[in-house]
Amino acid sequence: MKKVLFCLSILFSVGASAQEKEKLNFFGGFESNSQWYLKYTDLNVEHPKHPIRSNNYLFLNLKYKGWTAGIQGESYEDEALLNYNPKYNKTDVATYFVQYKNETVDLTAGYFYEQFGSGLLMRQWEDRQLGINNALRGGRIIFTPTKWFTLKGVYGRQRTGFDVTDSDIYGTDFEFGISDIFKMETTELSIGLSYVGRDEKMLTIPDPNFADRTDAYAGRINFAHKGYYASAEYDYKSKDAVVEKKEEVKNTFIKPGNALLVNMGYSKKGFGIDGTFRRLENMSFYSERAANKNQFNDRIMNFLPSLTKQQHYNLANIYVYQAQPGVNLADNTVLKAGEIGGQIDLFYNFKKGSALGGKHGTKLALNYADWHALGGDFYLPKKDYNTDYFGFGKRMFTEYNVEVTKKWNEKWQSMFSYINQYYNAKLIEETYGVVKTNVLAAEGTYKFTATRSIRIVGEHLWADTDKKNWAAATAEFNINPKFSVYGSDMYNYGNDDPEMQNHYYNVGGAFRRKSTRIALNYGRQRGGLVCVGGVCRYVPESSGISLSLNTTF
Amino acid sequence: MKKIQLLLLFVGFNLFAQKELPNLSLNNLDGKSVSLKTEFAEKDKIYIFSFWATWCTPCIQELDEMNDVQEEWKKSVNFEIVAIATDDSRTQKRVKPLINGKGWDFKVLLDTNQDFKRYLSIVNIPYTIVVKNQQIVHIQNGYVPGNENELLAKLKSL
Repeated sequence: MKKVLFCLSILFSVGASAQEKEKLNFFGGFESNSQWYLKYTDLNVEHPKHPIRSNNYLFLNLKYKGWTAGIQGESYEDEALLNYNPKYNKTDVATYFVQYKNETVDLTAGYFYEQFGSGLLMRQWEDRQLGINNALRGGRIIFTPTKWFTLKGVYGRQRTGFDVTDSDIYGTDFEFGISDIFKMETTELSIGLSYVGRDEKMLTIPDPNFADRTDAYAGRINFAHKGYYASAEYDYKSKDAVVEKKEEVKNTFIKPGNALLVNMGYSKKGFGIDGTFRRLENMSFYSERAANKNQFNDRIMNFLPSLTKQQHYNLANIYVYQAQPGVNLADNTVLKAGEIGGQIDLFYNFKKGSALGGKHGTKLALNYADWHALGGDFYLPKKDYNTDYFGFGKRMFTEYNVEVTKKWNEKWQSMFSYINQYYNAKLIEETYGVVKTNVLAAEGTYKFTATRSIRIVGEHLWADTDKKNWAAATAEFNINPKFSVYGSDMYNYGNDDPEMQNHYYNVGGAFRRKSTRIALNYGRQRGGLVCVGGVCRYVPESSGISLSLNTTF
Repeated sequence: MKKIQLLLLFVGFNLFAQKELPNLSLNNLDGKSVSLKTEFAEKDKIYIFSFWATWCTPCIQELDEMNDVQEEWKKSVNFEIVAIATDDSRTQKRVKPLINGKGWDFKVLLDTNQDFKRYLSIVNIPYTIVVKNQQIVHIQNGYVPGNENELLAKLKSL
């Protein structure tokens, strides 16, 4: 805390004294999420020792000509919110950097966020809702001597809590704009090459059968011509110890990994179609081997999101697929060496004035996703496998989505969704069972006046097993552009155990003015996964009052 | 007590905060790099940067609405809408077909690793900034139906 205040004061005084000079920019943001966990007897909740908890982030920057310096302080008092990484503890300086940038070079010292290609080998990002901040602390250079060539080089150690790991990360990435070199007018073509190395000496294994440094390579191509586009990336990770369970680095199970991602599509005005195929084999990649499969996404090196539709409705977010890049040969019923599958999206706009479009048009969005465990030969108890390149093993997840948006007139707009899911909990979560669901959702927005509106959502989920049926409703009243209030309830009325037929209700309000948003909520949190961008965090059931605030300046 | 000190400090910053667009280049939908510094620099023209994502329903509502009204607005204000897709590589491939499927008529840039979003300390989307002569002159955090009317009034006053 003292350190933060000290740094703040320095920044503040520098900023204030430099006020008269032109071109000096001072800016940043503040975010605070607090929760007061209340005690309830009817929910299966363990009351935490510190019932009032708060996660806070203050980000300050100073910019002068090509130079930018920034510092982020974070405060988790008395503790971080439930099920955040316990390494986020108390108050301290979290990240800082100094950056110089002009048209050809971009140099950063300190903490930075970088992504090569689609992130399958390396991505650093921040997601406060998930408690992810895997920035590297070190140096980065980005060199763009001409329009068609970019070179990146990074070195660093990865952030974990308020500290960094003991391992070293190296990376370099080249990108060539082929269409710029050959001055192609209507076609875009580029290729990229990456290398990422992770150097970690295993002190727990005196004579390892694998190298300290794991080398990973990737090549990618990107193409677009008129309405058509396609891209592909292939990644290879050198032989390394397989980690089937957290903290268990095996010296006898050594395998390489690889990934293939292919995307193509076509779109024109009013129509779009897009298809993605991905195959992951043993692609879990952490800056420290033992961190593999930790529940907080701590020390994660690469970005392996589940490629499915990101659901917007509450009930469609109960059975969420999570990508399965890792290896686990638990027994003959759970044989995982990765995943294979894909998804297809289709968007269509029924024109205004057509039979289905009506006066204001109708918009249709379809999505189909299908994911399987990687097929092949698995050897137990010896622990080994040989995968088939296009081997589709057991089905893990399938989903069909239909979404129709319709504007009826200036006042009324509505949306209908139907979702059908197949969720193999045994393979995805390594628990048991297969859940099949159907979800129906409808929502309508009605504008009373130019600035006053109401949004009402009704949802129902039919599930054949697990917690079975749910019903949910939300009403949100936008009183004016600054104030909104809402109430919602999710009711697990179909649960076989009458004790577990819980309501998860929430009421709250939000106030917004310019860059500030403040929201207050009272209610209950359903236990389960909170997912952002295909990466998830488990949250326990809880009830209480939450206050969140964010602003920029 | 320390928290109050912190708050006071940060209120202090507010007093002399002035933000300009970062020197950042983002790819457009064709994969061509577009510089925020040079591309959006027409004198006195207003640029509306709207941060959104394919999975964010209120964002899409807002952009649908803006798409419907922009022709009308352009009669009275010299402005341009730029949609900043904050989709990461999970959903980024959906941006192009969605935009064409929707028939939106504005420039779209891809903020794939959220450098632009992070630079502006944006916590939640939809989030809209209004830029004139490279300076951020107005911010709208969130969207509810009707916000576009407020925004138009603001644009006219700039």
